[in-house]
Amino acid sequence: MLNFFADPQWIIPNIIAPFIFTAVALMFYGNVSNSLALYAVIGGGMMGMWGSTLYGAGFALSSDRWNGTLEYVLGTPSRLIWIVAGRSFSAAVLGLVNALAILLIVVLGFGANLGIVNPLAFLLALVLTLVSLSALGVLLCSSFLLTRSAQVMTNGLEMPLYVASGSMFPIALLPFWSQGFSFILGPTWGIDAMRYAAYASYTGMAFGYWADILVLILSTLAYLAVGFWLFIVVERRVRRDATLVEI
Amino acid sequence: MIHELSDWYPFRIFVSSANFAFRALFSWLRPEMWVTQLLALPLFQMAFFVYLARFVQPGGTSIAFVAVGNAMQVSAFASIFAICNLTSEEKWQGTLIPLISTPANRFPLFLGRSVYQIFNGMATIAVGFVYAKYVFGVDFSRADFLALALVILITSLTMTGFGLMLGSLGLFLRTAMIIANIFLFLGLLICGVNFPVSTLPTWVQPVSYAIPMTYGTTAARAAVQGANVVQLAPTLLGEIATGAGSIVAGYLLFIGFEALARRRGTLEEF
Repeated sequence: MLNFFADPQWIIPNIIAPFIFTAVALMFYGNVSNSLALYAVIGGGMMGMWGSTLYGAGFALSSDRWNGTLEYVLGTPSRLIWIVAGRSFSAAVLGLVNALAILLIVVLGFGANLGIVNPLAFLLALVLTLVSLSALGVLLCSSFLLTRSAQVMTNGLEMPLYVASGSMFPIALLPFWSQGFSFILGPTWGIDAMRYAAYASYTGMAFGYWADILVLILSTLAYLAVGFWLFIVVERRVRRDATLVEI
Repeated sequence: MIHELSDWYPFRIFVSSANFAFRALFSWLRPEMWVTQLLALPLFQMAFFVYLARFVQPGGTSIAFVAVGNAMQVSAFASIFAICNLTSEEKWQGTLIPLISTPANRFPLFLGRSVYQIFNGMATIAVGFVYAKYVFGVDFSRADFLALALVILITSLTMTGFGLMLGSLGLFLRTAMIIANIFLFLGLLICGVNFPVSTLPTWVQPVSYAIPMTYGTTAARAAVQGANVVQLAPTLLGEIATGAGSIVAGYLLFIGFEALARRRGTLEEF
């Protein structure tokens, strides 16, 4: 977070894609009704969190590599995974700026009146989605440790999640064969839960709010478990092969 | 004639610069990673907007409009993002000062750096059109493929000129990454990629028509619907004019920003 405040211009590349994607969605919607505006704000918020997390995770260690500070980070007694998890979480929080920007546009620009049916349930789903995205960031960061192409992978992984999680449209529209991939993504369940909490008559994936929350928590725990294991394996390997600071 | 050309100093700079850029790219990026990127980027960008259009306007006729528009615009990853970052990349690698200190003419130098991305942009659009036909079901039965190929070539060339113009800012700014990211995606909103330019606010439309991609998307849709080269000529001439204007403006900006950065000592700032 301190890193961000030292050079806040970097929020722009992190959220510009989700911001413009959401703006295009608003243009598609035409005369923005309240329900569609809320759809855009929720989807835009999730995309912003993911865009920011992905860049946060992708650059969490790459920037240390480039700046020559990775050895010092490793020299501290803290486990590398906690350092990365903290960076990933703060990046996800910063991504909420996109939801805020979209919220201002739809309220001030389109005059939409956004009403959330169950604000507490919405907040719970939002926080859990934030944690889920951070966990996904940690999982990806472990594989980024192995490659010099973290930046390329970061660019390439942004849009698949926007599509697969149904951030702006129901996943039922996707080809049947691809929906299995959507179901193993925590954010798919998180965004569905947020829509359940926001709309009075939302049917979504038909499992209900609490089922979504349960799957969201379980998938987050699974990401963390695999992320921890990968970090231990990868960290040991790159230390042994002396490839950690290879740029 | 060939011998004379190879002796021509700007041409030698151009070839040498292009050669360096190609070798540098593949020493940094593995070929399989490049292929993955080439295949994945168009697919997911097109999927996002096509499914969004399907959700908002089920059964509407806009699917082909959106698919073709995005197939063209996805080339911005090469022509805007990669080109715009050329100067910043030189800064990060610590090679900008040695490069600028040479007497080489800046025009063939940076044109050579960008040549590979022109082909990359064309390949990306071609992959996008394959997805448009086989994944998103766009009807190509009436398409004039010669006209479409010409549209792809001109759009890649002119958008690279536009990217070079934006890249000149990287000489003066700490990084061109911010500008690159903004213009990479801005086309989705203002270049007639997802909806006609006429639906935008009136004050935005002149900006749209100052970007070559706006003409490129219009011409590509017309070529898919069967328009030939002669019918597309006015649109393509507009595209060439904006592309040439971008290159001239870019060159002048480059010279200006280089002088400014030298004077303020910001060439190495990143």
